[in-house]
Amino acid sequence: MIQLSHLQKVYSGGQGGFRALADVDLTLPAGEFVAIVGKSGSGKSTLLNLVAGIDRPTSGTVHVAGTPVHALGESALAAWRGRHVGVVFQSFQLLPTLTVLENVMLPMDFCATLPVARARVRAMELLEEVGVADQAPKLPSSLSGGQQQRAAIARALANDPALLVADEPTGNLDSQTAETVVRLLADLARQGKTVLMVTHEKDLSAWADRIVTLADGRVAGQRQTKNQPAGAAAEPSHA
Amino acid sequence: MRRLPIPPRWKKLLQDLRAEKSRLILMLAAIAVSLLAVGAVMGAFAVLSREIGVNYLGTRPASATLEIPAGVDGRVLEVARSQPGIAVAEGRDVLQARARVGEDWRPLLLFVVEDFRALQVNTFTPTAGAWPPPPGGMLVERTAVPVLAAGLGGRVRVRTAHGPGVELPVSGLVHDPGLAPATQERSGYGYIARETLPLLGEPAVLHELRITLADAQAGLPAIEACAAGLAKALEAEGREVHEIRVPPPRQHPHQRQMQTILFMMLAFSFMALGLSGVLVATSLSAMLARQVREIGVMKTLGATASQLAGMYAALVAALGAVAVVAALPAGYGGAQVLAGAIADLLNFTLTARGVPWWVYAVQAAAGILVPLAVAALPIRQATRLSVRQAIERHGASADALGALSPRLPWPLRNALRRPARLALTVVLLAGGGAMFMTALNVSAGWERNVAKVYETRHYDIEVRFHEAQPETVAEAIQGLPGVRAVEAWGYSPSAFSRPGQVDVVRTYPDRGHASFSVMAPPPGTQLIRFPVLAGRWLREDDRDAVVLNHTAAAARPGLRIGDPLNLSLGGKATTWRLAGIVEEIGSPGAAYVTDHAFARLAGTRGRARLLRIATEATTPEVRQHRIRAIERKLAEVGAGVETAWPLAELRTAMADHISILIRSLAAMAVVIATVGALGLSSTMGTSVLERTREFAVMKTLGATPARVTRQVVQEALFMGALSWVAALLLSVPLTAWLDALIGRLGFVAPLPFILSAGPMALWLGILGLVTLAATLLPARRAASLSVAEALVRL
Repeated sequence: MIQLSHLQKVYSGGQGGFRALADVDLTLPAGEFVAIVGKSGSGKSTLLNLVAGIDRPTSGTVHVAGTPVHALGESALAAWRGRHVGVVFQSFQLLPTLTVLENVMLPMDFCATLPVARARVRAMELLEEVGVADQAPKLPSSLSGGQQQRAAIARALANDPALLVADEPTGNLDSQTAETVVRLLADLARQGKTVLMVTHEKDLSAWADRIVTLADGRVAGQRQTKNQPAGAAAEPSHA
Repeated sequence: MRRLPIPPRWKKLLQDLRAEKSRLILMLAAIAVSLLAVGAVMGAFAVLSREIGVNYLGTRPASATLEIPAGVDGRVLEVARSQPGIAVAEGRDVLQARARVGEDWRPLLLFVVEDFRALQVNTFTPTAGAWPPPPGGMLVERTAVPVLAAGLGGRVRVRTAHGPGVELPVSGLVHDPGLAPATQERSGYGYIARETLPLLGEPAVLHELRITLADAQAGLPAIEACAAGLAKALEAEGREVHEIRVPPPRQHPHQRQMQTILFMMLAFSFMALGLSGVLVATSLSAMLARQVREIGVMKTLGATASQLAGMYAALVAALGAVAVVAALPAGYGGAQVLAGAIADLLNFTLTARGVPWWVYAVQAAAGILVPLAVAALPIRQATRLSVRQAIERHGASADALGALSPRLPWPLRNALRRPARLALTVVLLAGGGAMFMTALNVSAGWERNVAKVYETRHYDIEVRFHEAQPETVAEAIQGLPGVRAVEAWGYSPSAFSRPGQVDVVRTYPDRGHASFSVMAPPPGTQLIRFPVLAGRWLREDDRDAVVLNHTAAAARPGLRIGDPLNLSLGGKATTWRLAGIVEEIGSPGAAYVTDHAFARLAGTRGRARLLRIATEATTPEVRQHRIRAIERKLAEVGAGVETAWPLAELRTAMADHISILIRSLAAMAVVIATVGALGLSSTMGTSVLERTREFAVMKTLGATPARVTRQVVQEALFMGALSWVAALLLSVPLTAWLDALIGRLGFVAPLPFILSAGPMALWLGILGLVTLAATLLPARRAASLSVAEALVRL
C-alpha cells in the first residue's frame, strides 16, 4: 500500500520557489494499476518521483508497503529503490554502452540479488516475458522505441519489485506501440505488481484500475474505473 | 577456456573507457610523464647518495690537513699517530704548478705522495698505465686529460715555483672522486712521488699532514678540536703549524649543488605529478559530465553513491597503475641518464646502477594515490547528485552564475558556468606557465649575475706570481702593445685568525673550493668596481680598514661594520676593522685592504704578487695572444708566474657548474606546460560537448558556424588569459624562491630578481596557440553539427 500524507514539494528558485505539490493526502492499495493524470505542471511527475524515492518531499510523509521512504538516507534509499521499485522512463534510459541483456542484469548487480550467471538467466527470462529476447545481445541504439521501452520494463522488473513506476512511458512511442506497452503494464498489475503510471493520454489511462487527477499540485479527483476489482477485465472499460 | 563473467557495471565502465580512448590516453600520458620525472629524479638521488659513499667517502677524505712549513717527517707522523682520536696520519703536498699545453701554460695542481702503495687518506685509484708511477713519471686524473691535452704515454712540460720546467711522462691515469672534474675547474691534476720533486726544482719535502679521525661521524667542532690539539702537540715538539684546513666533513665539494639540484627537480616533478592529477580530475569530471544522466539511471536501479564512486575510483586507480607500469622502466632509464650526468659533475664513477625498491614503491604509491586524491572531488560531486538532479541535467547549467553575471560578457559567463572546472583548468595552465616563466626568469637572473663578472671587473687578464715581484713588472707589461692598463696588487692566501690559535680554514685539498685570500689593490683602482652592500669601499688613507666580499662575509655571520677582524697574512696575525661589504660575483672569499697597509704588514713594500691587466683584445684568440706576450715579457724579467688566465675562464667555469640546473629547469617547464595544454584541451572539448544543444538552439536563431566557433574560442581565450595572470602572480614567489636557492648555491647570494617581459610575452603567445589548437577542433565539430543532430545529443 502507498500512503502519502500532507505531502508538499517546493522547488527552490524564483521568488519563494515553485510549489509543485501542496498538501497531498493519498492512499493507494497494493496490486493496482494507477494512472496519474493532469495538465502539464500539475505535479504528476513530482508525485511519482516522491513515491519512487527519486526525489525528497519538502514536508509530509511517503510510506510504501510500510517503509518510510521520506526518512531513508541516501544509501538506504538507493538500496530500497533497487529492491522494491522498478522505474520506467519516458526516454527509456537504457545505458547505451551495455547490451540489452546487460542493461537488464544491471539492477541485480547493484543490489547483489543474484550472481552474474544466474542474473543472466533471469534477465533472458524477463526479456522473453516482454517479448524482446531476440534483441538481448544488441546495443539499445539498434532497437526501435517500443523494443527499448519493453527492455526498460524488463530491467525495471529485474529485482522483482512490488512497485513499478512509469513516467510517461509512452511519450516517445507511436499509438500502436504505446498501447502494447500499457497493456504490458496492465498485465503486470494483474500479476500483483502495483503500477503507478503518469500519463496525459486519456486513452491510455483507461487501462488503469484507478485514475488520480492532479491539478495545481493537489489531488483534484480520484476514481476507480470499471476495470476494478483488480484483474476483472483484460481490456479497458471504454474499449 | 571459459571467460570469467564480468559484472555489468564493470563492463559498462570498460565500454565507457573504450568510448573515451583519446581522453584516456591523455590522462595516462600526463601521469606517466610526471611519474617518469619523479622516478628519474628519485632514482638518481638514490643512486648518487649510495655512490657518494662508494666514490667520495671511499677515498677516505682527510678530516683535517695541517700545513707544516718545515715538512712532515717520521717524528711528526709519530706524534700525530699517538694523539687520541686520530686513526690515520699521512704526509702529502700539493703544488700549484703550470703545464704547457700547446703554446700556453695552464694551471696544474700537483699532488705529491710519499708511497702510492700505502695510500690511506684521500686515496685515488689507477685506471690505466703504471701504478705507482716510476720516479720522474706523473699520473694524471682522468678528467684532466683534455685539460692537459695529454693522455697515457704523452708528455707534459711542468713548471713549479722554483724549477725551470721539466717534461714529465704521463705514466698512468687515475680516478680521484675527491676532486671536482678538472674540466670544470679549468685546471690539470697530476700525481707524482716525493722523489720526483727535486727533478722539478723543488725540495723533496711534504708540507701537509693529513689526518682522519677514528670517529667517522665526527662533526666540525670535534675535528677542529682534534686538529688544534695535534697542532699544539707538534708545536710543543718545536714544529710550527702554519694552518689547519678542515673542509666540510664527508661532503664532496659539489655535493651541496647536487643535492640542491635534485631537491629542486624532485619538487618540480611532484608539482608536475600534482598537475597531472588535476588533469585527471578535469578529464574525469568531463567524462562524468557526459555520464551524469546515466549515473542518475543507475541510482534508480539501486546503485548507491559509494558503489558508483567505487567504480570511478577504481578507474582512476587502474589508470594510475597502468601509468606506473609504463613509467617504472622509463623512470629507471631517466635515473640512469640523470645519475650519469650528475656523476660527471661530481667526478664519480657509478659502480652500481641499481635503483632501490623504495623508489619504485614511492612511484607506485604516488602514481595511484595522487590522481585518486585529486579526482576524489569530481567523483564525489557526480555520484552525490540526487537522482532527479542527475536525470534532469541537460549539459552545463547556469546555476553557478551569480547576480553579477548579466553585466559580464557572454563568453566570460559561459566560462564561469562550471567554476570548479574553470579553477582546475586555470590551476593547470597557471602551474605550467608559472614554471615556464620562472625557469626563464631564473635563467635571466643567472645571466645577469654572470654579466656582473664583466661589469664589475674592468680587466680581462689576471697574473699571479709564486712570490711577490717588484712593481716595475707592471711597467714592463704596460709597455706591451694592446695593453690598456695594468695594476699591481698585493695578494696573499689568508684565514680568519683567532689570537693564540692556529688558523683554521675550510679549504678543500684542491686549494680552490672554499678558499679565502687578502687582496690589496692600489688606491683608486680603476679595474674593479663592486657594488657596496654595506659600509663603504676602501679610501686611500685607510690604514686598518678591510672590505669583505659577500662570500667572505657569509662565512662570518653577525659581523657588523666597524667590528674588528683578525686576518692571517703569511701566518702572521693582523687586525683590521670592517669598513664595508661588497658583492663580488664569481670569486671565492676575499678581503680587500689598501695596498700600502698590506705592504706594511706583509713586508712586500714595492712588490706585488698579482697583476690585473686590461687589454684591447675583443676576441679570445687575440686575448690568448696577449697572454703569451705577457708571459714572454715576465719570463724575460724573471718573474715566476703561478697562473695567468683570462677573465672569460671564470664565466665558463661558472656556466659549467650550474648549467645542468638551468637545463633541467627548462625541461621541467616544458613537461608542466605540456600537461597544462592537455588540460585546456580536455576542458574545452568537454565544454563544447556539454553545450551541443545550446549551440543548436543558437543556430536555429540564426548563428552561423563561424559565430559558434568564435564563441567557443573566446571562452578558451578568457580561460587562457585568466591563467596567464595567475601564472604571472605565481611566478613571482617561485622566481624569488629559486633565485635564492640557486643563487646561494652558485654565488653565495640570491640571484638578481628579474621578471622578464620576454618570458611573459612568450608564454602568452604559446598560450594563445595552445588555446586555439585545443579549441578549434571541438568548436568546429560543434558548429558543423546539424541542428537536428545537435538537439538529440545529451
